[in-house]
Order: sequence, then C-alpha cells, then structure tokens
Amino acid sequence: MARKTIFIDFSKCIECRACEVACEREHNGMSFINVFEWQEMAAMALNCRHCEKAPCVEVCPTNALYRDDDGAVILAPQKCIGCLMCGIVCPFGIPELDLINKIMGKCDLCAHRRKEGKEPACVATCPTDALIYGDFDEIQRERREKFTEKAIEVAKKAEKISLLGV
Amino acid sequence: MAEKLIPVVCPYCGVGCRLYIRAVDGYPVNIEYAEDLEGISNENGKLCPKGNAVLEYILAKDRLKKPLKAKEQGKFVEISWSEAIKEVAERLKAYAKDDPNQLMFFGSARTFNEPNYLIQKLARMLGTNNVDHCARLCHAPTVSGLKQVFGAGAMTNTYKDIEEADVIFIIGHNYAETHPVGFRYVLKAKERGAKVIVADPRFTRTAWFADIFLQHYPGTDIALINGLIHVIIKEKLYDAKFVRERCVGFDEVVKAVEKFTPEYVEKITGVPAELIVEAARTFATAGKGVITWAMGLTQHTHGHDNVRLLGTLSAICGYQGREGCGCAPMRGQNNVQGACDMAALPNVFPGYQAVTDPEKRKFFEEFWGVELSGEVGLTVIEAAHAIDKGKVKAYYVMGENPVISDANANHVIKALQKLEFMVVQDIVPTPTLEFADIVLPAAALLENEGSLTNTERRVQWSFAAVKPPGEARPDWWILSEVGKAVGFDRDGSKGFRYNEAADVLREINACTPQYRGITPERLKANLAGIHWPCPSEDHPGTRVLYKERFLTPDGKAHLAAVDYRGPVELPDEEYPFILTTMRYVGHYHTITMTGRSEALVKRWPEPLAEIHPDDAAKLGIKTGDWIKIETRRGVYAIKARVTRAVKKGVIAVPWHWGANVLTNDALDPVAKIPETKACACRVTKISEKEACEIMKKLPNPIPQIEIVKG
Ligand code: SF4
Ligand code: SF4
Ligand code: SF4
Repeated sequence: MARKTIFIDFSKCIECRACEVACEREHNGMSFINVFEWQEMAAMALNCRHCEKAPCVEVCPTNALYRDDDGAVILAPQKCIGCLMCGIVCPFGIPELDLINKIMGKCDLCAHRRKEGKEPACVATCPTDALIYGDFDEIQRERREKFTEKAIEVAKKAEKISLLGV
Repeated sequence: MAEKLIPVVCPYCGVGCRLYIRAVDGYPVNIEYAEDLEGISNENGKLCPKGNAVLEYILAKDRLKKPLKAKEQGKFVEISWSEAIKEVAERLKAYAKDDPNQLMFFGSARTFNEPNYLIQKLARMLGTNNVDHCARLCHAPTVSGLKQVFGAGAMTNTYKDIEEADVIFIIGHNYAETHPVGFRYVLKAKERGAKVIVADPRFTRTAWFADIFLQHYPGTDIALINGLIHVIIKEKLYDAKFVRERCVGFDEVVKAVEKFTPEYVEKITGVPAELIVEAARTFATAGKGVITWAMGLTQHTHGHDNVRLLGTLSAICGYQGREGCGCAPMRGQNNVQGACDMAALPNVFPGYQAVTDPEKRKFFEEFWGVELSGEVGLTVIEAAHAIDKGKVKAYYVMGENPVISDANANHVIKALQKLEFMVVQDIVPTPTLEFADIVLPAAALLENEGSLTNTERRVQWSFAAVKPPGEARPDWWILSEVGKAVGFDRDGSKGFRYNEAADVLREINACTPQYRGITPERLKANLAGIHWPCPSEDHPGTRVLYKERFLTPDGKAHLAAVDYRGPVELPDEEYPFILTTMRYVGHYHTITMTGRSEALVKRWPEPLAEIHPDDAAKLGIKTGDWIKIETRRGVYAIKARVTRAVKKGVIAVPWHWGANVLTNDALDPVAKIPETKACACRVTKISEKEACEIMKKLPNPIPQIEIVKG
C-alpha cells in the first residue's frame, strides 16, 4: 500500500488560509484544515496526519474509521455514532463533531478529488507550496537529497575560496 | 445538461490568476484549479483565499438586477433599460452642451480593458478629459515616477524575474498578504538562495521571511532610500559602467545623498545604522536585484519622489534591462494596469499618448471623428474639490466606491451630496451608490468576457462562465448603449456600435501601439496571455523592458536627486500618534465583494487596530477593547489588538471598513495621490455603547438600499 500523505512545511506558510477556504468549499462548508499563528512570528497549517498507527482507527467502537487504498484514514458517516472517542485520542485533536448531524467529520485527503486523479484541494491551492501531497517515502527522500545538495554546494564554495587562497 | 469548465481570470488582485469555473448552463457549480495551463502567472493553478471564494460574491442575494432611479437619497424605483439609457444620455448631453468639464467619469480597475476604453472614449468624445479611476489612489506615483526615471510607468519585468533574482527588496508592501500567489516567486527565489530585504513600519507576514528587516516610521521612505544610495555610492558598490553609459544625473544624486549618512537616517527612520549599511551592501552586490513596492510606498505626499528614488536605486546598481532584475510595482486590483493603459486617466489617450501633444490629439481626432480637448482633466480627489466650487456637476461612476476608498471620506460624502446628477454602474449596492440618481446593474467579471492586463503587463482573455442575474448587462454593452444614445452611433472607431467585447479590443489594437498585436483571436487561443509591448501580430510579447534603451527622449535613465520630506502631518501634543493603514489577505478593496463572501467574512470578520504594548499599557487598552481614533478630519471606532507588529507611537488600521474618514487628503504635487499612509491621530479607550454611537454616523460598507414601488 502506498503511503500517501500531506507534508506540511511550516517555514513556508504565510497564514493566507487559502487551504481552509478550499477545504471548506469542497466539503459543504466545513474545513478540515486549520491554520494557527505562533507569537506573531510564524504560522502553521494543521490537518489530519493519517497516522501510520492511527489511534482514532484503533479506538473507534463501530469501525467507522478505516484506511483506503492510498492509506488515508476515512470516516464512514453511516457507521459513526458521534461518541467522540477519536477526537479525544487523536494527538492533534483532528476529528470534529458536526453539530448538525451529530457525527464526526475529518479530513479524507479529498477522496472525491483523488478519485479523479487530482491533488487534495488544500495542496492544489497552497500558493507557497507549504503543503505537498505525495508518497511519504518519496517526500522524505527528496528532503534528504535537497539537504545533501545544499551541503555539497557549501563544500564547493569553501573549496573555491581555499583555491583562491583566501 | 453538460458541465463545462470555462477559463476565467480571477476578479481580485493584480496577479491575474487563471482558474476554471465549473458550470452547467451558465450556473456555477464549483471552481477548478488551472493546473494544466503552462506559463500562466499562478503556476500550477494556485489560488489565494479570495480566489477560492470567487463564486460567493457572484451569488450574493443583493446583486443589482434592474436599472434604478432615485426617488430620494437611498430610495429607488425600478425602471427599464431604455428609460435608464435615455435619461443618462440626455443628462450627459445637456451638461456637455453647456460645458463638458462639468462632467466627471470614473473608470474602474475592476473591470475589463474594453469598458475602460469605452468610458474614456465617451468622456473625450463629449469634450472633456475629466476621466480617472482609483489607480490614482494606489499607483499614480508609480506611473508618474517611473515615467520620469525610465520613460514609462509600468512594471519593467515579470514574475519570472522575481523568481530569478538574487536579492529582492520589498518596501511598503505586505507582499505575502496582499498577493499570496505572487509571493510564491519571492519564496522560490529565497529557496534558491536569494536574500530578501523588507522595509515596512509593521512587522508583517512578509517580514517573517526577511533576511534583513528595516522597520522605519511611516512616511520616512525618502530618508531610508537615500540612506541606502548613500552607502552604495560611498562604498563604490554601484555599477559604474551602467551609470556612465545609460544614466544621467548621477552627480546630482551624489550631492543629494551626501548628508544621508546611516547615522542621520537612523535618527529620522528609527532603523539602526548598521542595518542600513548591511541592506545597502546586500542589495548592491547581489548581482541581480528586483525592487517591489505597493501602497505603503506610494500613498504619500512624496509618493512620486519615493518611486523615482527606487528607480534610481535600481538603475545605479545596474538592475535594469536584464533578466532577474527590475522594478516591480504590485497592483492591487486585477486590471489597474489595463485601466491605465486604456487611458482612464485625465492626461493621456490610450497607450499613454499625452492629450497635450498636438500630434497625438490629431490622430485621435481623426480616429474618433470629433474635436478633442487638449486640456488635462481632473483627477479623483480634484474632482471632489471641484464640486465644492461648482465646477463639476455630474459624475458617471463605473465600478468605483469613493465613499470608502478616498482619503478624507467625510469630505467626499459632502461633495457627492452636492452633485446634481450621478450615475453608478455596479454589481452590488455600495455606500457610493446611495447617492446615485440612476443605477445601472452591471454583470460581474465572471459573467462577461474581455481582456485584462495584470501587474506584469500580461494581457489575458477571460471568458463568460456564469449568467448575469436579472437584467444585469456587461459594462461594454451599457457604455455602448449610452454612447449610441448620446448620438455617437456611427460605425467603426467613430461611434459606439459594437456587437461584442472583441470588437472593442480590435479598435484598441488600432490606436494603442503597445497593444497592436494583442488581438482577441490571439488571446483566446493563448490562455497564458501576452506581455505588452507587442507591436505586431507575429510579435511574441516583451518580458523585460529597456534592454537597449529607456523610453525617455534621450534613451537614458533620469536619476532622481531628492531631499528629505516627511509626512505633511506629524504627531504633536494634541494628536500624538502616527496613523497608518493596512489590509487583510481575505479582503479586497472596499469589501463590496469580499464582504459578501461567507467563507471570507467568517475568517476576517472585523477590523482591528494594531497598537504597541507599551502605548496600550499607557492608555489602559487591552486586545478586544473598543477605542476611538480621532484625526483632524474624522472620528472612527474600532477594536484594538495589542501587538509588537507595530512600532511604538504607530497605530495601524485596516482600511476596508471605511477608516478613510480619518486619513489625510493632502496631495502629492505630481501624482496627485492623497497621503493615506501617514497622519497624526489620538487614541482613547471607549465603551461599546460609545463605539456604536460613532459607528452609526459612519457609512455602512454593505448598505441595504430601499426599492419602492412606482
Ligand atoms: S494555503 Fe498554504 S500558505 Fe496559505 S495558510 Fe494554508 S498552508 Fe499556509
Ligand atoms: S485523526 Fe488524528 S489520530 Fe486519526 S489519523 Fe488523523 S491525525 Fe492520526
Ligand atoms: S486533504 Fe482535503 S479534506 Fe483534507 S484538509 Fe486538505 S482539503 Fe481538507
């Protein structure tokens, strides 16, 4: 099973909240991503992490939470009894109670968009690429490569400087 | 029932993002990101929150659906299109017969090029150059300042150049918040290793990403920029070859900046001297540099000089005429550039051809088949004062909202009350519309088609995706009906007979040199658009201006030597604080559109005045308390937000909700822009009851108009 996820790069978030508006538009007026500001210095968007060992899935008494083919943790509304267990065990407090239907709601990694081969809405819109959708292993590898590239660049610069005898 | 994806241009900011509207038979269902279009200004179809919410304001319940005629102020009866057009045309004709300069026309940076072309054509054919639009209140100094230095008032480069720069100097511009999608290019450059220098009186979201942050007092820009130039000259960091070969006036600059030592500049601006030195070195030695600015820099009585100094700074570093370099003024509305190009301005014909130039006038006299005035017309603020003197009696306002957007709004309201006749052409009721005699319901941008020119001179075609409500009609259609009814009903360029927006663009092609090759056919086929100048149909468009020569008569950059001037109104005992204005990412202009979008109002529900913790402690103010802000012109009530984002002694208020009752309408002598960004004020804590009293007397940004029978 591919492990698809949304990688969040806090250092790039500008707190524009486009992701929230996009998610809300795609999910009948409810946003499953929230943007927080820290000490007026930085912002961070937070949505479901689709945890590898997802506590929400483990505690759900009716198996309303399950994992789909891309590895997304999905809530089946017809099975949910609104007991709030998932919301309590989630370390990020992600599943929320939909006050009208009295069942939980959470990020579904935009299942309807993935079905059409599209990226989740919050990722598609994020102007700064603070949100990236992809395979967990691949994103991790890319990060390592980027880091290595930078390190090599620095090393090259240092070499040039020493060749110049500075 | 086929669902269609229709490519449009976002109706909000000057980035000019592309998106698709998913619609069934003219009814919008959703939007889709334009991920599949190459080379558009919003890479991969990215959108900011406003772009994501574009469908909400279109579906607003209070859209204007029928032409209206006022019974008394704010009370209207519905009339038919033919009655409305007839009345407008007759009144315009009557004033024009008497003295055409009694008329004033407002173009709009929020609608297509075609209606802007038509409204100025109407004004000019009626015999007056009294035509202007709200660019006067945002980027007039950019147009006049850059024109003096480089010969033309447009962005010299494109987003691609921002991405390729090695240093980006952002001044008076909260880029991340005003243009999130444009800011993408700054972050991409930074990721490549470019340095970011931010100068702003507020610690903005843009400043979060700064390598060097210069927090200067509002209105001290001249000192700051002169300080940077001083260091660059002192340390011989400028591009001597470029200065020698392509600039004039360098010696004067050397003299003018002599006294602006970092220590002296520190005293005026409050920016530590070492930081000024560091910023100057970083900027000048980077290799490729872009300067970008917006209203924080332009809305001053010295806005014109501010821009000239930035042009000078860019030129002496040799950052012109090359890729990865340039001057990038960022426009607030999606067609500010286009409205200017189309000459919704009092001093030029389309393509910036001076009305005072007899040769250009002769061309347009032949082209339009009428005699034209060679006298420069009135600007927005001047027109409001001309009403007082009885000189201007009638306004034709297309998609504008001066009651909220003009500085010293109280004066504007008084002026509008004195008008004899006012036509307002808009999509929803605005506080300005309350004073109208005739209201013409317009189709919103996504409901009709035409061309738009974004900040980077990129002209794009936007298609009609949604059916307009009721009897609302496209702006170009309304103006062409009015023009014909006035009596200009000849064919071709000499009249107002048009079958579609594309006809108007063809006429623009014929009389605007920069747009000659930008035909409707080409635009419809190429969704990424074309950068003007594009002199012929086989020309690909121009990314970087001034590669060989500048557009000044001698082809050289005219460097500016400017002495320091601060804001005209400084804090004193009576008004001890400096007031400045700002904006929120989720709101736009005078919230006529964003204020009708639930998703945006939910997140940005109300204005908050930013005040430094030390000042707040002295006045006993906590976050959430109501405060009263007073200036020599007005009183405003607002909740406070205590934050270190502003300097001590500075109060920052978002202007969307009508804070312009406070601001100063002192004008820049050249650009005629009012000093909205700095004035003296005093602040007191008040009760909620008192706040309500004050707010009752202010114009409501989202008014409800009354429609009565018969
Ligand atoms: S869209 Fe991106 S930049 Fe904007 S708030 Fe969300 S994560 Fe941050
Ligand atoms: S809801 Fe919480 S616990 Fe469940 S997968 Fe998402 S982040 Fe993990
Ligand atoms: S992936 Fe979809 S559902 Fe999840 S936060 Fe993003 S937009 Fe919302």
